[in-house]
This record gives sequence, C-alpha cells and structure tokens, in this order.
Amino acid sequence: MEQYIKPPVEIRYREELEALKANDTGSKPENWQMSPRAVRTFILGSQKPILYNGKEYTIEKKYFGNDALVERCIVTLAGNRGLMLVGEPGTAKTMLSEFLSAAISGVSTNTIQGTAGTTEDMIKYSWNYALLLAKGPSREALVPSPLYVGMEKGILTRFEEITRTPAEIQDSLISVLSDKVLNVPELGDEGFLFAKPGFNVIGTANTRDKGVNEMSSALKRRFNFETVMPVREAAMEKRIIVNEVEKLAAESRIAMEVDEDVAEILASTYHELREGTSSYGHRIDKPSAVMSTAEAVSVYYQAMITGYYYGDGTLSMDSLVQNLVGAISKENKDDLEKVKGYFNTVIRDKSSKEGGLWKEYYEARKWLR
Amino acid sequence: MERILRSKEMAEIILLPVRHHSPACAFHVERTIEKLRPGVVLVEGPENADGLIPVMVHEETKAPFAIYYSYHDQSERISEEKAHYKCYYPFLDYSPELAAFRAGKRLGIQTAFIDLPYGDILAASGQGKGLRKEEEEKSNYNDDYLLSRNEYLRQLCERTGMRNFDEFWEKYFELGGMQEESDRWFGNLLVYCGLARENTSRESMEEDGCLARERHMAERIREHAGRLGAGGTVLVVTGGFHTPGLKALLTGEDESVVLSAMLKPWQGAVEIADAGQTSEAAPGAVSAKTDSVGAASQEVPAGGSRIAKVPEKDQGVYLMPYSMEAADALNGYASGMPFTGFYQKIWEQVAESDTPYGDAVLDMIVASGKETRRKEGYLSTYDEICACAMAKGLAALRGKKEPGAYELLDVVLSSFVKGEYNLASDTPVRILRKHMTGNAVGALCRQADVPPIIFDFQEECRRFGLKITSTLETEVTLSIFSKEKHRQQSMFFHRMQYLNTAFAKRTKGPNLQLKKDRNLMREIWKYKWNTQVNAALIDVSVYGATIEEAAVSLVREELKKELGAKEGALLLTKVFEMGIRDQMQSVFDRVHQLMLADTDFYSTAEAVRSLMMMEELGKLYGSALEFGELIAIGSRKLISLLPAMTRIKDEDLDPCMNALKLLYRVTGREGMNGQERDDYIYALQKMTLDGEINAGLNGCVHGILYGIGRETAGEIEMVCKGYLNGTKEQLFSTAQFFRGLFFSARDLVFIGEQFIRMLDGFYGTVSQEEFMELLPRLRMAFAYFTPREIDRIAGMAAGVHGKTGRDIMERQEVFPDWYAYGKELDEYVKGQMECAEKTLPL
Repeated sequence: MEQYIKPPVEIRYREELEALKANDTGSKPENWQMSPRAVRTFILGSQKPILYNGKEYTIEKKYFGNDALVERCIVTLAGNRGLMLVGEPGTAKTMLSEFLSAAISGVSTNTIQGTAGTTEDMIKYSWNYALLLAKGPSREALVPSPLYVGMEKGILTRFEEITRTPAEIQDSLISVLSDKVLNVPELGDEGFLFAKPGFNVIGTANTRDKGVNEMSSALKRRFNFETVMPVREAAMEKRIIVNEVEKLAAESRIAMEVDEDVAEILASTYHELREGTSSYGHRIDKPSAVMSTAEAVSVYYQAMITGYYYGDGTLSMDSLVQNLVGAISKENKDDLEKVKGYFNTVIRDKSSKEGGLWKEYYEARKWLR
Repeated sequence: MERILRSKEMAEIILLPVRHHSPACAFHVERTIEKLRPGVVLVEGPENADGLIPVMVHEETKAPFAIYYSYHDQSERISEEKAHYKCYYPFLDYSPELAAFRAGKRLGIQTAFIDLPYGDILAASGQGKGLRKEEEEKSNYNDDYLLSRNEYLRQLCERTGMRNFDEFWEKYFELGGMQEESDRWFGNLLVYCGLARENTSRESMEEDGCLARERHMAERIREHAGRLGAGGTVLVVTGGFHTPGLKALLTGEDESVVLSAMLKPWQGAVEIADAGQTSEAAPGAVSAKTDSVGAASQEVPAGGSRIAKVPEKDQGVYLMPYSMEAADALNGYASGMPFTGFYQKIWEQVAESDTPYGDAVLDMIVASGKETRRKEGYLSTYDEICACAMAKGLAALRGKKEPGAYELLDVVLSSFVKGEYNLASDTPVRILRKHMTGNAVGALCRQADVPPIIFDFQEECRRFGLKITSTLETEVTLSIFSKEKHRQQSMFFHRMQYLNTAFAKRTKGPNLQLKKDRNLMREIWKYKWNTQVNAALIDVSVYGATIEEAAVSLVREELKKELGAKEGALLLTKVFEMGIRDQMQSVFDRVHQLMLADTDFYSTAEAVRSLMMMEELGKLYGSALEFGELIAIGSRKLISLLPAMTRIKDEDLDPCMNALKLLYRVTGREGMNGQERDDYIYALQKMTLDGEINAGLNGCVHGILYGIGRETAGEIEMVCKGYLNGTKEQLFSTAQFFRGLFFSARDLVFIGEQFIRMLDGFYGTVSQEEFMELLPRLRMAFAYFTPREIDRIAGMAAGVHGKTGRDIMERQEVFPDWYAYGKELDEYVKGQMECAEKTLPL
C-alpha cells in the first residue's frame, strides 16, 4: 500500500470488502460483487463486528450526512438509469462514487476524467495506430475507453466532472445509456458491443464552479440526480475532519494524534462562515470562497504537517490560522477581510468566554493578512 | 393490550394503547372491539364533549372534523388575565378514537370520553406547558409529543437508521402492521410506550397536566367498571403513553413495577440490530435512561381533588369541519402522523388490497407524475416506471415490507427531479407533498350543535337578506350614509372581516384605514358563504355569543397588546367602521395614552392624520367623540419633535413633508389658541438654522414660511443661490430643494421672473451628464404642478430666451437630401479614420 499517495478504495479497504463479501447472504444483482445491503453497510458502517478469517471487523462509517441519499444511490445503480451526483465543490461526491464502484464492481479506477479537452474517442474508443496499419481494424487494435471496459466487463464506469466536458461530447453517452450498446462501425458485423449486466455510469458534476457546461435535457433524462449538500452540523463536520485527517496521517506515517478540540474549533469556524451565523447568534459576512469540509480537512492536515516537521510535534494555532489564510484568500481579496471581521467578533467573544485554545486561536489572528 | 384482573364487584378493564392518526392502530382497535364486544368503550378526550359523539358517528358527518374546545377564564382559575383559550381535537377517518366510536355505534356499544374537561386540563397545566404552550398558534389536544419527542427516541432513530420518529413508526408499526395479530401489535406498541414513558421525567408529566388527567381518567374507568359489575368488560382507548400510568393507578401498583413488568420480555434481550440487516418488526431496548420513574413514582399527591373544577358555563365544545391541510403535522401543528392524504389512501385501500402501501405509492407516483408533466412538461412514463422500481428496491434495501411514505418521497426526489435540487427544480417534490397532504375538507351532519355565534350570524344574514344557502359570490351596493339599514349591514360586514372569516370583502368604498376614497358615498361588497366561514366563526366563538360581542372582545384583546399611536388610531378607525359604539370610548382613551407615550414622529403624525379624518367623518359614522383635544396633544408633540427631524434621509422626505403640511393645517384650525401656530413657526425657523438640514425638507420649510408670510421671495431666492453656488454636492441637492419648495409653495414660480431665471441659470451650470443624473429628481419636483401650470412655466422659460412657448413646439424641418448628404459625410469620415488606423504603425 505504501507506494501510493492515495491508494484506491478497493485496496485501502480490501479486508473489509472481503469480510463483507464472505458474510453476505443477501441476493445480489448480476455481476455485483455484493448485495445492496452489504454495499450500504460498507459505506454507512455497522455496529456489530463481522467475523472473517478468525478476525473481527467493525465496518466504520465512511460517508456522513445523509444515509437516505446513499441508499437511493445504491438502488439507482441497480436499476436502469445512471447516477449523477451534483453539488458544491468539496461535498465528497467523488469519494462517494469511489466507495460505490469499489463495493459494487470491486474496482473504482475505471474512470473517465472529464476536462474541457475531453473528446468523443476518450469516451468511446480509439485506435492503436501501429496495429491498425499493420492488421487493419480489429479488436486487438482497438484501445477501449473506461466506458467500453465497463460495458464489456459489466462493471461501473465513473465519469468525473462530466460538466467540464463540452455538451456535445457529453451527449455521446446518450445512446449508450439508453440502448446499452456501443457500435464500432470499423469492426463491421462484430462491431456491436452489448453491455453486460452490472454496467452503469456514475457521473459527478459541479454546479458552482466557473467553466462548467450545462447538460442537455436528453442526457439528464438518462440519469437519476442526487444533490449532495454540505454537512449542516458542526459536530458531524468535526467528526469528518478527525476521521479524514487520521487516515491521511496514517498514510503519510505521521505519528501525531489528531487533537479533537482543534478539530472542533476548525469545524465550527468553517460551519459558521458557511452558514452566516455563529453559535452565539452573531451575523457573519459569508466569504465567497467555497467553505467545504474537504478544505477544512486539508487546512488541518497542512497545519499538522507543519507542526510535525518544523514545529515541536504539536499543532500550533498559529500555523492553523496561516493555513486558513491560504485556503480562504483564493478568489476574492474581500474574503480575508470577512474572516478578519469574524475573528474580531465571534472568535473574540468565544475566547473571552471559553478561554484556553479559543484564546490561542484568537491571538493567532495576527496572521490574517 | 393490558388486562387488569377482575375483582368480584368490578368489570374487567382492558387498556388499549393507541397512537393518534394511525391507520394500523385504527384497524386493530376496530377489530379488537368486534372481537371482545365490551360493555363500554372509553376514549381519551375531554368528557364535556360526550354530547358530540352521536354527531361524530352520524353517516352525514364526514372526516376530517375537529372538536373545538374553548374556555374563557372568567373565574381566574388559570391567571388574573381572564384570558380566552381554545384548542382542537382533530379526527380523521383513520383515527383510532373515531374508529372506536364508529365500531361502538355499529355494534350498539356505549361509548364515552373520560378525560378532564378542557378548562380543567388548562388549570392543571403549568404556565407554558402542555396545552398552555403559547408559541403555537393552534394548540392540539392530541399532540403526541410524549411519544415522539425525547432523547430515547432520538437515539432509537439513529441506531435503526431512521430519519425521524415518523419513519420509525411507519416501518415498525404501519407497514404490514395490519396483517399482524392485534394482540401482538398492541404488545409491541406497549413496549415502545413503556420505554418512552420510562424516559420521561415525572416532573415534566406533572407540569403539563399529564398526571392529573390520568388520575381523572382512572377515576372514570373505575366508575364504569363498578357500574358494569362483574362479568362486564371495559375497553379503554388512550394514547399509549398513558397506558402504563393508568395501569399503575388502577391496580395500585408502583409505576416502576408496572413498567418493568411491561418491558420484561424485551429488557436486554433484543438489541437493536443494524437497520437493513434485519426486518425484525419489534423495537428493542435501548439503554437511554433519563432520571425518570425510578424511586419517586407515586409520591405525588393523589387524586384529582387538588384541582377545583372550573365552571361549566365558561367552557364551550363544538364540532367543526376540518381540512387535511390543517391536520397534516407537517404544517406545524404536530398532531400525530404527517402525510394525511397518503394514509387516508392506505385506509381506504385496506379492505380491497393486500398491498395497500405498494398501491398507494404507485397511485401517488402516477398522480404527481401526471401533474408534473402538465406543469413542467419533461416527465415521461419511463420516469414513473423507474420510480416504481426504485421504490421497491429501496424498501427491500431498508428491510421494509412495502415501500412507504419515505420511499415515495425518495423516489420522486431521485427520479423526477432533473439537475441540482433547488428552488427552481423542486416542483415534482412540492406536487407530491401536496398530494400526500390531501385536500379533503370535512362536513358535519345537520344535527350538529353549533355555538350561538353561528345562530347570530344566520340571524343577521336573514335580517339583511343575505343568501347563505348557496356558495356563489354575491355583490351588494350599500349607501352607507343615507340608509341606516345599509350602514348596519356595512357594520356587519366590517365585523365579519375583522373576525377573519373571509365571508365578505369590500371592493369599493371609503377606506378609512388607508385614508383612501374618502369622498365615496357608497360601499360595494362581495360576500360568499361556505363551510369555512362557519369553521372560522366557531373558531372565534370563545370570544362571544354574537358577532358584535366577539368583535368587542377581540378589540379589547388587541388593546392589551403593545401598540404605537399609529396602530392605536388604526384600531380606532376599525372600531369606527364596525360601528362598535360602546368600545369607542375605551379605544379612544387608549389612543390618548398611546399618543402621550409614543415618541415616534411618523407614528404620531399618522395618528393625528387618522384622528383628523375621523373628526371630519364623525357625523357620518355617528360618533360623539371629541377629537379636538387629542389632535392638539398630538400636534404639540409633533411640534416639539420637529427641530430634531432636520437630518432625515431622502426616503423619509415624503412622510416628513406631509407631516409639516398636516401641522400647518392643524395649527390654523379654529379652537387653537394661536400659541401652537407661533410654536410651529418658531420650530420651522429653528430647523432652517441647521446647516445640515435635508435639502428637500429645507425647501419645504421655506415654502411654508413663505406661505405664512414670514419670509419673502427674495429670502428664498438667497437660499436657492446658496445651494446653486455651493460645492458640487450642494449643487446637486438643489433639485431636492426645489422638490420640497414646490411641495409647499409652488406659486413662488409664478410671481415674477427671478425664479425662472434662477432655474435657467442652474441648468446652465450643470453638464449634460450631470443633468441626466439629476433628471429623475427634477421630474419629481415638477410633479406637483398641474399640466397647465407646467405649460405656463415652459412659456415663461421660453420668454427668458426671447421666444414664446409656441416656438419650443416648432422644430426646423430637415430635408431628405440634407439628411442623405450628412449620412454620406459620416460614412466618408469613418472610412478615412479606419484607413488611417490600419496604416498607423502599432
């Protein structure tokens, strides 16, 4: 596992997946690795440990915020329609789609990464030109796309950032999704690729960023949409920060405990700036930058690394605030002013009331510049 | 169900726990009554409603309807305020209580309510607790917060993976609940209720009157059991939360003993398994205990004797038609289950179908799909097919026997909403919600007793010849000032309007509240009767036996509120319109107080204006009030506030100028001793001394001073010049100054040429762009002139430049060939310039 910065889900959770498969008694759709219930347990966790190879595995909860949404996603994928996850940046859409495809198909890497430069042959198929010239059009000379692979093997194909690709390129998915067949005219009569059961598409799309294209309504009809909302509870956000940072730290072999209190401060900062009101009832100017939980995780992690390599092995509030500045002043200069205002009102009041870490946090406001 | 052993002289008592508005529960209650054929069925509900039971079970009475309880605290049992209280007890076709009554009628079994009368419940509840909660607009008798809102429940939902109590309830009690044996079903419910009770503190039960009610209910149950004697059976239908308490009271056991006996089969044995991993239909034990029953239990003073009874005459109890919208808990009234329309469908389909839920879900998907298609146009049948398949899939994944309300919501969200879910795309979900709430409205049989206010209403309608047998809208024209009967009728309409009955609305006529159309002599009204009017009247019946009485009490209630002078005067105009003579003096006195207390300039000015209007119209409306003194008080107050009003914002300019004008009128009235006028002038002069006075206001003040003769045109011209020759910002505010000036003294323009010259000079100073910027404000300034006057000003302005008004209208002719030549010239120059651009080195 150590040779990757971020191992794919099916490798990171290999044992959990194996354990679930071995204990799975539910009926499963054709070509699925496990039953819908086991997929649900993999993503939403279970309280009772399961026994596998003489070892007990407690499946941890990996996705927070909306259990019903996860259930809807699973059922959608078992049906005839694609699944489209939409929402603000940093709401763990990609993470959810990786969990789903790793659990259902055993592989999360069969992925098209959408960009403005994505072309139709990246979505369908292209050719190995040396072979094409030598042998003429044949399956051997064909370079399959992730979509092609998905249909051929009966597994899920993920399409990341689908709205970044031009609308006409997106539309090449339409007939594939409705007829479940891909025609390769160059191969003549053998050129029909009929999708095997188990094939489906999970798309993720960003709705707030600049430079995204609208989807055609024909394509929209082929998908069930799930809107992923930012986490609305500060306590939940704190739990996510702690979980994610712990995972990152373990992968980077940083032997440092995650400080729950610091995570709480950071979570409440992000939460309050996003919602526009503090827990004390202050009205706050909302920054225009995206205040996602994913950003909060990276701010914490950065501050942690700083403390680990440069500091005394503890996380200082100074470096937390420094990293916060970096995360916030991306798009708009006014955002920093808004955060300063936030520190000078909300954090001031909290530090005088709560003292301790809040006080340190308030004092670190000198780095907001 | 909980059986209590029979003794020699008492009948057997069977306690049946229920949840309000639950189809499965109603089904089992009905079945149990049929099976047991008890001697009497007792139902939780204030016993003073016993007389309504025959009407409730009458064939012509259609649910939803509600029992309306009212109580007027004249004997000060509750507080010194002698307040009015009211609450509702809604019934749907699938309410277990109604099912019990209907079964009773069918089988010829006696039925009765057994709870404390409404007023006594109020008296037993602590301030702001139970039925005395103040924040809720409508208080509900059968609010099942005791079952659905506590810490134990929150944990239970979290561990079973349910979103909320309603989903939990649906999964474990409704879905497939009707296929279960009644004994087992009630057993499960009892365990749940026992756990809910165990986790509710005894203090809170005492505070919201719960224990006092239980003591009373136990008393009644004992009476009935004694009456029936050995061999009889008493079936008691109460909210499940009360069942353990009642059992303890009836058996004389300690409540903790009763609870632990109830929970014994489950305690510790069943652990809540993973949702989805099991479809176990019984809830288990969760270790979430708050300090509850424990040791304390029975120490509370026993018996209802502590509470003296509240007088019968102050309590009212009537049936009224209700609507699904009002009954749906999602509309904020929190009475039992949400999605009334959905469960109504289930209830209707129980007899015909083995899969009522699957059928109802399908029906709802098709109905909302159809409506979405009509409204939005994009939905296909295939979307509906996918939605149905998904509903089944979700139910299977969640371990539910059939898809329920929450699966329905989920599939419509997934399959029907295209694109991001937001306000613009949520139409399908909103449509579904509407269908799930339903739109049925109940009806009462003719024998239904109605409060006296309805008779009064019918009597009044007969008196004025109004048609209330049809629901068609009818228009009437009333000559309110010439015919006494028409005035009476108008008063009646106004009162009905004030009582929020939506019976009549005025389409034309003098509007005293907005001070509009005061010159009109006739009122045109449209009225329309429907059952909702009666419901609204029942709703206010607590305030009096006649329309007039109710209006009077509501006016009195309103007087107690925090009001400003403006609102006080507005209320007085309403009383005026409603013609409530005997309340006029008290409202008037209150306005007097408010006028003295209010320090807001605009509010006071508005009040004075209202008073002046009422003084003018007093004779027409038949009031004998003396407004003179009150107006004088108001105007003196306004004058004293004036000097502080100089630095107002532009948006306050209009009300402020109107107030100045009003004061001018008031201080010039007969009966003012002249001192007011002097004070007024002094205040105005003081205002002009403020260097930062709002330019518009300054103009207005100078205009008034000119009108009174305290300033000459020359002096005003000086002030104008001051603005004109000032720095740029001041120059810009000249337009505002003119606006104020023309508001109060537009004749200034016509008394010589100076003003026109000055304006002309002003236009000369500003540039083209600045002029465009000023134009809107200048337009406002000139809006006070009549078209004729504007024409005259234009003529004068032309005269300044040595022309006549007619010359402005005439333009020189442009010949076609001149135009063609000019255009050609333009093209040529443009071409030359483009060439030059290309040849120029970059």
